[in-house]
Amino acid sequence: MKKYALNEITTSQFIFFIYKTQVGMGILTMPRITAEEAGTDGWLSVIFGYFLAIFISLVIIKVMEKYPEDTLFDLLPKVFGKWIGKLFIIGWIGYTGYFAIVLLLMTVFIIQVWIFPQTPSFLVMWLFLIPIYMITRSGIRVIGRYAEFVYFITLWMVPLLLFGLKDAHWLNLLPILKEGWKPVLVAVQKTVVPFIGFELAFILYPFLKNKKSAFKGIIIANTLTFLLYMYVIIITYVYFSPDEIKEYTWPTLNILKSIELPFLERFEIIFLSFYMIILSMTIIPFLFTAAFGTSKLFGQKSHKIHVRIYIGVIAFFSIFYTPIGQNMESLGKWADYLGIGFGYAFPILFGLYVFIYTKLKNRRLSA
Amino acid sequence: MKPFRRRKTNKKEIQSQQDANIILQSPFSSNIDVNVYILEQLFKDIPDLVMRHFLLSTGSNALLIYMKGLVDKEQVHLHVLRPLMNSNTISHGNIESVISVGKILKLEKWQKAEELIFNGFSILFIDGVPLAYAIETKGWPQRAIEEPATESTIKGAHQGFIETGVSNVALVRRYIQNRELKIKEFDVGRRSRTKLSVLYIEDLVHPEVLQELEDRIQQIDIDAILNTGELEELIEDNPFALFPQSLTTERPDGTASHLLQGRIAIIVDGSPSALIAPMTFTSFFQTVDDYSMRWTVASFIRLLRFGAFFIAVLLPALYIASISFHYEIIPVSLLISVGESRAVVPFPPIIEALLMELALEMMREAGLRLPAPVGQTVGIVGGIVIGQAAVEAGIVSNIMVIVVSITAISSFIIPNQDMATHIRLLRFPFMLISTLFGMVGIVIGIMIVMAHFVSLESLGTPYGSPIAPLRLSDWKDNFIRFPRWAMVNRPISARTTQLKRQKSKRNRGDQK
Repeated sequence: MKKYALNEITTSQFIFFIYKTQVGMGILTMPRITAEEAGTDGWLSVIFGYFLAIFISLVIIKVMEKYPEDTLFDLLPKVFGKWIGKLFIIGWIGYTGYFAIVLLLMTVFIIQVWIFPQTPSFLVMWLFLIPIYMITRSGIRVIGRYAEFVYFITLWMVPLLLFGLKDAHWLNLLPILKEGWKPVLVAVQKTVVPFIGFELAFILYPFLKNKKSAFKGIIIANTLTFLLYMYVIIITYVYFSPDEIKEYTWPTLNILKSIELPFLERFEIIFLSFYMIILSMTIIPFLFTAAFGTSKLFGQKSHKIHVRIYIGVIAFFSIFYTPIGQNMESLGKWADYLGIGFGYAFPILFGLYVFIYTKLKNRRLSA
Repeated sequence: MKPFRRRKTNKKEIQSQQDANIILQSPFSSNIDVNVYILEQLFKDIPDLVMRHFLLSTGSNALLIYMKGLVDKEQVHLHVLRPLMNSNTISHGNIESVISVGKILKLEKWQKAEELIFNGFSILFIDGVPLAYAIETKGWPQRAIEEPATESTIKGAHQGFIETGVSNVALVRRYIQNRELKIKEFDVGRRSRTKLSVLYIEDLVHPEVLQELEDRIQQIDIDAILNTGELEELIEDNPFALFPQSLTTERPDGTASHLLQGRIAIIVDGSPSALIAPMTFTSFFQTVDDYSMRWTVASFIRLLRFGAFFIAVLLPALYIASISFHYEIIPVSLLISVGESRAVVPFPPIIEALLMELALEMMREAGLRLPAPVGQTVGIVGGIVIGQAAVEAGIVSNIMVIVVSITAISSFIIPNQDMATHIRLLRFPFMLISTLFGMVGIVIGIMIVMAHFVSLESLGTPYGSPIAPLRLSDWKDNFIRFPRWAMVNRPISARTTQLKRQKSKRNRGDQK
């Protein structure tokens, strides 16, 4: 019997779910973090990051194919036994919950820096939590639809960056590999984190209506993300000089700031406001996964009450905490470590374990 | 109060509704005098009930009753009374061959008789026969078929629904002459007993959707339904929705087009409009005229409508946000001219905007209810007040007048009245939130509307289709209209069971 038949999602919802989870803060920060390590060769690192992400995604799908009716949270206790399984679930809840909170704080922080220097941060936070709550409580299908809608309503923002090409210096990209392969490979560890989001396939797979399209779907999602990152990175590289780019925390916004039309200036205000829609679609999946995880942990069917608790706690503590720059940096660093741990290391180790586990189990059964 | 009520009811022979119900459940008597007595009790104080006693040629007493005004007098006189009185060979076995009226029913119980009398039937009792004959002699005052005022077209048909359900069904049937067009009838409303006709094309409609609708109609327990709007509220999915979830239309050709896409239409007797479900958001932006124009023109107008939707919802809010929060996004030269026009205005932008918007809404409402000549006067007076005098007096700025008028015109472009009103309503919360939080507030508002939008359903089918859930094949007939030959399939948003609607090489779909 299908456990999740009621909440099935289509292939395109699966694609946009993952794609929109991946695209978020990365667009704003990636040009800088790659340039810091590899200069204008950073785009090569993105390619490596992309292939790594694809590889891990395929491992995840392969694992899930063995247990097509179970989410990760059903699977962990099955494979590891009740208590170790629960321990892993708690780890996942911590990881996704932490990601959601850090992304929320970062969003509020950016809004405060660029648009509302005076407004108390918790007001922005509360405001932002309303739509997030509305969508997260409704479950995976509604989140999937929201992801599709987000894609279309924010599509106009992509070509805005083309304004930057007006002052492009294509020579910035040359020579390729000016310092050899080493900085490029070092920068890869920075480029893998923006691809985080595909690991939610662990949760999504059982909800997918057409399971055969999972491979195709996750590759398309990763590719869309990759193309968008390449687009943004190349434009920022040719717009800024290789040294200037490291000066700005969010170089993408600085390009938009410089656009001047006879009737409109300071595009980054409009852009950033609408970018909140995209950011909400990175926060919602993580928040949902955390709430889904706690509901599984306590053996409850509905995740709604857990969403309410999370939102309530975040809303309450946001009164006392105003995000500031250095804090954000260290929070972000921890998020990177967690992301690499749970997004990249965990699937590989878990995949290996599951393959050995099923092999042994089959052998025991046949013997 | 109690003694008074008892005194009144004591006079009645039938003590209460329960007694009446017992009688209604019982069969007719074969003695005509008993029947007359019961009739007098049941239909007490109903002077428009006509009871005509006469003798048949066989010598037995007969009684014909009908409601004055609900029957066609001519028909009763010429085709019922005259043949009955003149015929020489009459017996209760051959009544049908004597009366020259299309539909004659044999009744056994009072309940059915009561129901049919109020539906314009004439009931015939004959002494010695424990039956009654219900003869269809409907004919009540009704309006001529006119072009619907709210949904006029340029090139489409100029017929609109009227207040009689039967004629409305016939109007639709004129467009779909196919036996797959089925009708299910329901009586809703304990007192009004309103006839609902549920129209659908059997091999197109999704059985689950139809079943869902039937279940909802059967669950209605209310005293009366007077028009389609009431029914809509009783059967819609989400009572707190920001958008209409089902369409009411006065156009038979529009109804037929929706039926052919696999949707269901409900025609309420007594109301000049049909209710169509399940709908999607984008289908509210389509009109019948789109299909009678060439596809290039139709596509352009479609895009115009969707553009108008965003303008109608967001423009005042964007204006408020940009002049009170983010004036840095306006270039200096433009900002100076905006500032000049705002310099004399004493109000903050939100008050200014609310003043103008509310004045406009009031004018619209005033013009709507007044007779046409007076309505025009209101328009002229309002136009001068809003356009000229208010600016000169320094109450509002020029630019605000422009913003408000563009918004108003945009909201009038939206072809469906229900949708247009909902959109007009939606812009007020947007104006408020943009006053408090500027651009960020507007985006939060958009996200809330989006969250609401994606979770809405109409009869269990997603409302946001074909955007969310994404159905690319339906985009041919949404934001733009593809040429007719390119639209081989029906939209899947309505969950139709047969996709193919045009001939193609592959043999499936409407096979004859």
